[in-house]
Amino acid sequence: MNAASIDRRGFLITTAVVGGGMALGLSAQAAVQGGQTVPWGADAASGAEFSPWIEIAPDDTVTVRVPTPECGNGAMSQAAMNVAEELHCDWSKVRVVFASYARDFAEKGAYNTGFLSFFSGHSTGKLRLQKTLQLGASARERLKMAAAARWGVPASEITTKDSLLFHKPTGRELRYGEVAAAAAKVGLLAEPELKPQSQWTLLGKKSPPKLNIPDITHGNAVYGIDVKLSGMVYAALMQCPVHGGKLNSHDPAKVLKMPGVRAVVVIDPARTVGWKGKTGSTFGFADSLCQSGVAVIADHYWQAQKALAALPVEWDMGAGVQWKDAEAIYTAAQAKRDLGKGSVIRKLGDVSLASGKRVVEGEYSTPYGENAALEPLNATALVTAESAEVWCPTQDMSQAFWVVVDETGLPPDKVKLHQTFIGGAFGRRGQGDDVRMAVAVARQFPGKPVKVIWSREETFRQGRFRTPVVTKMRGVLDDATGLPQAVTGDVGYAGSRAIFQMPLGFSDMPWFNNGVIPNVRLTSSAVPVNVLNGAFRGPCYNSHAFVVETFIDECAEAAGIDRLEYRLKLLAGWDKSWSDCLRSAAKGIGWGKVLPKGEGMGIAISCWPVANAHNSGTVVACAARVSVLKAGEIRILQLDTAFDCGRIANADAVRAQIEGGTLFGMSVCLGEELTIKDGMIVEGNFDQYQIAKMADCPQVNVHFDALSGHERLEIIGEAAVGPVQAAIGNAIKIATGKRLRQTPFRKAELSWI
Amino acid sequence: MAKVRFKVNGKPQVVDADGDTPLLWVLRDHLGLTGTKYGCGIAQCGACTVHMNGSAVRSCQVPLEGLGGADVTTIEGLAGKGGAGLQALWFDMNVPQCGYCQAGMLMAASDLLKQHPKPDDDQIDAFMSNICRCGTYPRIKAAIKRAAGIAV
Repeated sequence: MNAASIDRRGFLITTAVVGGGMALGLSAQAAVQGGQTVPWGADAASGAEFSPWIEIAPDDTVTVRVPTPECGNGAMSQAAMNVAEELHCDWSKVRVVFASYARDFAEKGAYNTGFLSFFSGHSTGKLRLQKTLQLGASARERLKMAAAARWGVPASEITTKDSLLFHKPTGRELRYGEVAAAAAKVGLLAEPELKPQSQWTLLGKKSPPKLNIPDITHGNAVYGIDVKLSGMVYAALMQCPVHGGKLNSHDPAKVLKMPGVRAVVVIDPARTVGWKGKTGSTFGFADSLCQSGVAVIADHYWQAQKALAALPVEWDMGAGVQWKDAEAIYTAAQAKRDLGKGSVIRKLGDVSLASGKRVVEGEYSTPYGENAALEPLNATALVTAESAEVWCPTQDMSQAFWVVVDETGLPPDKVKLHQTFIGGAFGRRGQGDDVRMAVAVARQFPGKPVKVIWSREETFRQGRFRTPVVTKMRGVLDDATGLPQAVTGDVGYAGSRAIFQMPLGFSDMPWFNNGVIPNVRLTSSAVPVNVLNGAFRGPCYNSHAFVVETFIDECAEAAGIDRLEYRLKLLAGWDKSWSDCLRSAAKGIGWGKVLPKGEGMGIAISCWPVANAHNSGTVVACAARVSVLKAGEIRILQLDTAFDCGRIANADAVRAQIEGGTLFGMSVCLGEELTIKDGMIVEGNFDQYQIAKMADCPQVNVHFDALSGHERLEIIGEAAVGPVQAAIGNAIKIATGKRLRQTPFRKAELSWI
Repeated sequence: MAKVRFKVNGKPQVVDADGDTPLLWVLRDHLGLTGTKYGCGIAQCGACTVHMNGSAVRSCQVPLEGLGGADVTTIEGLAGKGGAGLQALWFDMNVPQCGYCQAGMLMAASDLLKQHPKPDDDQIDAFMSNICRCGTYPRIKAAIKRAAGIAV
């Protein structure tokens, strides 16, 4: 190190290259390709870089490169906001791009910080928040050092605000951009201390809209499906309609002469080259494998789709055809569960010792569901014998990158991956099977970028679906208090993929853990099915919260205690914020108000991702007011949601996620269900799979008054999806007298006179 | 193959492609206007909504051969056709989440406001049949009302 000066806080000016190195004259602005301004950053260092994360241009533009994808939750803008909090830059001069995973790999984890670095949200996770704040603080102090050198004054006399540096004693001022290049060469002996949360001026204080909205509203945001590359061709894809089946035969000659058609290629899982070396994949490869299929490559997508539709194809459907319908699968899951050999996932006391006059018993279930992100699955890949480059709307860059390595067998330094915007994901784009299929197609058309687009029907039928659960609950109520003295719960999952048997919202509920219910026995089992299940917004939680909170409602009913009061009793002694959430949601809906016939109110509470630790997860209570028309039609009149995620960084971003999560859960419980015929998914498009529309949506009130102020800034995308389902079902019970233990509710006969 | 002349965002275009190619794919693949989105291909989701001769249509249902002489406006041209105010509200009110449906939503909303300058809830619900998987409906409705000068 070449020390030049040290000020009293112990900073050191150095000419050493800092944080990944200085530029070679490349623009750090995201590249313009095919007339598009693209959202991914360069694969190498560039410009006046303060770290791989931060560059400041001469015009003061601050570019923040983030590993976080943007699937609608604002996580990308949030990461930049964290940096800006300590950088003291003018928010209007901040732009944000996606970091390059190739650069992360080359620089040994430059962007890899904290839990699930590249996955979906988590911008306010403890380590990530700390890291991004520190990066901002560090850059700010280095700007001060550079200004101090320029002015010949101590850095300690310099203050910063809105991308300006001030030396008040002499009345001088500089823009960040004027000293950025010099500042980028400054190294600090010690990292500056961070402001305490109480002194934040941006986080928790302001709610700027997401930075990419102007691009969205003008049609300029580049999603995966929008990538434009020179010489690009398009592929339409068809995988075996029964998951796990194989292509028997096809007749390319029938379509090769159709307009625009370039090739017909077969995707054979056996052709995956595989990567034997170390990988940095987030989830491993087991849930990303190729499915047997065929693809048509053409000049235009419409031509590819038409030729694919005309292509004669014969499949060996495989063992999956044994499932005549979805009911057969659910019945098998129940049968497996009822063997009584499931793993015990929670045990307290001895349920066999409980006695009481009132016993509540029920069989609850949720069906297969499709994530149905509005952007159909797609990815674009350019593969040669030596290298691969992929553009994709992945939910996890490290997963997608290593899937490309695994599929091609190319060494990781020969692979590049570019993160695009994501047109919704809800868990579907996390494992990288979509990326693998695109690479498997493009490998067979080397040297040309191939954009592989799943049709909507293919996206639906080749999903990694919501894991169905069949759960039997039994509660023995204490004769004196009416609270459960013992609860047994046995969940059966359809699908044996271990990571999608999450017990969240089930065995971690406080009252199953803290002794309020003294005897508890919960078990879990799974039946293997060919139908591929996967992550669906708040995986399994989205079913468990419905089951548990419907069951609790039935216990309250049997005990003859108000359903809000009953839950408050169950939560006595637990974190106050849980009760606060219930009270706030209840107050919002006007709990206890006398309603006309055919109307009802319901309430429910749960927490994602960890419910059984104090001050943990995001707690959400939802209260619903519904009306059921005489003919049986369900109308949701009002939803009130109160939550506690500790603290918040951007109130309006949080509000938007709670609104969206609540409506997502509402849609799921009202109308969403995939059915199966002979192993194949029946529903292929939005005319067959009912997603809530504007006309279905009530007023959604989001209440902030239950926020505890605990120091965590917990994730908020999933929690709201659960309780709303039970709240609506519980409201329907009041409105009609009918208890619904299965979703979707619109299948139930609810007419009344 | 069909060679068809029409206008997109005020600019004359000639597209020579299979006559049954939907306007959606003409815009995206042939003209490079990727702001118009593919969501379902069967007129269910509305992500592909554009204006044709001034009215909102689902571009996945309009074949190239039916486009002769048409005047098409896409999301890329909406600002120049009086949509800038709506686009600004979409930003101010932080409407989009993933944003994929929002081009279609904006195109539909701008036509709604032309037909019903002060739409009531029923008119909004009936007209805005587009799908948003993220659940931005309440914000879209609020933004439409604000654009119409209706107190929310």
